[in-house]
Amino acid sequence: MTMSLVIWGIATYTAISLLIAYLSRVGPSSSMSDYFLGGRAMGGVVSALSYSATTYSAFMMVGLAGLTYRGGVGALGFEIIYFAGVSLVAVFGPRFWAVGRKYGFVTPYEMLGNRYGNRWVAFAAGLVSLVFLIPYSAVQLAGVGYLLAGMTDGGIPFGVGIVVATVLAIVFSYIAGIRSVMWTDSLQAVMMLLAAVLATGLVVSKLGGFSGMFSTLSETRPEMLRVPGVGFFSFTTFLGLTLPWLFFSISNPQVSQRLFMPASIGALRRMLLIFLCFGLIYTLVSVIWGFSALVAIPDLERPDLATSALLSSDLIPPVLGVIVMIGILAAAVSTIDSILLTLSSIFARDVYGNLSGNKNDARQLLIGKWVIPVISLLALAFAWMEFSMVAILAVAASVGLVLMVPATIGAFFWRRGTDMGALVSIIGGTLFVAGMYLTGNSFFGLNVGVLGLPVATILFIGGSLLTKADTAHADEFMHAASNAIPRKA
Amino acid sequence: MLRKISLVLVGILIVACYAVPYLLLQSVETWHGSFLFWTLAGVFTIVLNVIATLGFNGDAK
Repeated sequence: MTMSLVIWGIATYTAISLLIAYLSRVGPSSSMSDYFLGGRAMGGVVSALSYSATTYSAFMMVGLAGLTYRGGVGALGFEIIYFAGVSLVAVFGPRFWAVGRKYGFVTPYEMLGNRYGNRWVAFAAGLVSLVFLIPYSAVQLAGVGYLLAGMTDGGIPFGVGIVVATVLAIVFSYIAGIRSVMWTDSLQAVMMLLAAVLATGLVVSKLGGFSGMFSTLSETRPEMLRVPGVGFFSFTTFLGLTLPWLFFSISNPQVSQRLFMPASIGALRRMLLIFLCFGLIYTLVSVIWGFSALVAIPDLERPDLATSALLSSDLIPPVLGVIVMIGILAAAVSTIDSILLTLSSIFARDVYGNLSGNKNDARQLLIGKWVIPVISLLALAFAWMEFSMVAILAVAASVGLVLMVPATIGAFFWRRGTDMGALVSIIGGTLFVAGMYLTGNSFFGLNVGVLGLPVATILFIGGSLLTKADTAHADEFMHAASNAIPRKA
Repeated sequence: MLRKISLVLVGILIVACYAVPYLLLQSVETWHGSFLFWTLAGVFTIVLNVIATLGFNGDAK
């Protein structure tokens, strides 16, 4: 693949995205909810495409394909369990949406702080999410770095790749806040799906079609078509990988914040259903892509490089290779810019706002804008360290964020839940996760992916039962939340 | 009622996503083993979500 083709491809993608971002402006944003939530007026289709682009990152065509290459069909099961977990949006979506409108929440943690009547709950949750999501962003950046370096045989060094992705993410976030992010996301969602479908279809047809490729796999690597297969997806590993991802849609603020944004409950439904259709296709394509790499190039030492090796092979024409590469770049950038924007709103609202006591909306907006490049540079530094297994690190971030799940579920369904319960589960859970990672990540043979959620749940329930709940506010909050759900549905 | 049933079915589907491939399909080494099962689980997830959100058709703000 020639360097000039790659550079032209990136330049074209950047120019079109910048134009879309510019056109998405509707005048200067004057408030936090306008800049970070699009004035709570986003349509269902744009919301769905943006939700898809935010959720699905470089992880899919790089990390998931690598997992398939390394461990077989268990990679599909891992992703499908996450996918089924998105059904939580059908339960929590209308509730987030309703209380967001009633109380004016900008971040999911501001919501927890209000529900439990304690700003330190929002502060602690915000801080923990910053600690875990910066590495998650770094994983996306590293994905871009590997990809560009792999496809150009080092012509675009790893460091240049991650700097390009960081600059694009900052620019897309800055132009019009969530509006530019959502509109560029929508373009990028279409690009990443089309490119992936085209390339996978072509490779599979060259490998003898769907049945031909799977017949070859059945003959040469039959263990890859069952679990635990080669042993990589042992049941404990599978459980540890999947449990945190099952709750992704309510534990990860860059997606749960999206539940505040749709213009109506009908738009929320369209967002969910269109996303699910997009997600199933993209998941299947990414896994089949990984399998095709296994058939076409069976002896790779590093599964992370399966995608770039396949793209550089004779099976893919250079122009299509560049289109797929840009699709993956788009997938990474669209995830990073959403995380950047969410984290900066969390920093401004939940960390700075609660620490300083400054509730001035304009001041918080200014802080939020300032902090975007700071967080980006931190992620860049993390990515520079070059991790070996992209997928495992992405899961580590989810393990940390899943600690917020008991307090989130309790907010809507358990009136006895208290601020102390929420604080103990978030802080105690974080200490537990850190302790597990520092001591080899095994406790009676179980890893932190399996244990994190039960530990946080026990702490939440225990802490709540030991303290007195403000049930009057809980009732008001829960009533407002359930009001959005049609009675006859 | 339909909403509740479909959400319970999603829960059962998730448990099945762990149990069926690890207990029943361990020896099936073709695409119509675990690959097909998990693919169909994805399709059913969409169908159940369509049903669970049938009432969310208002455009009231």
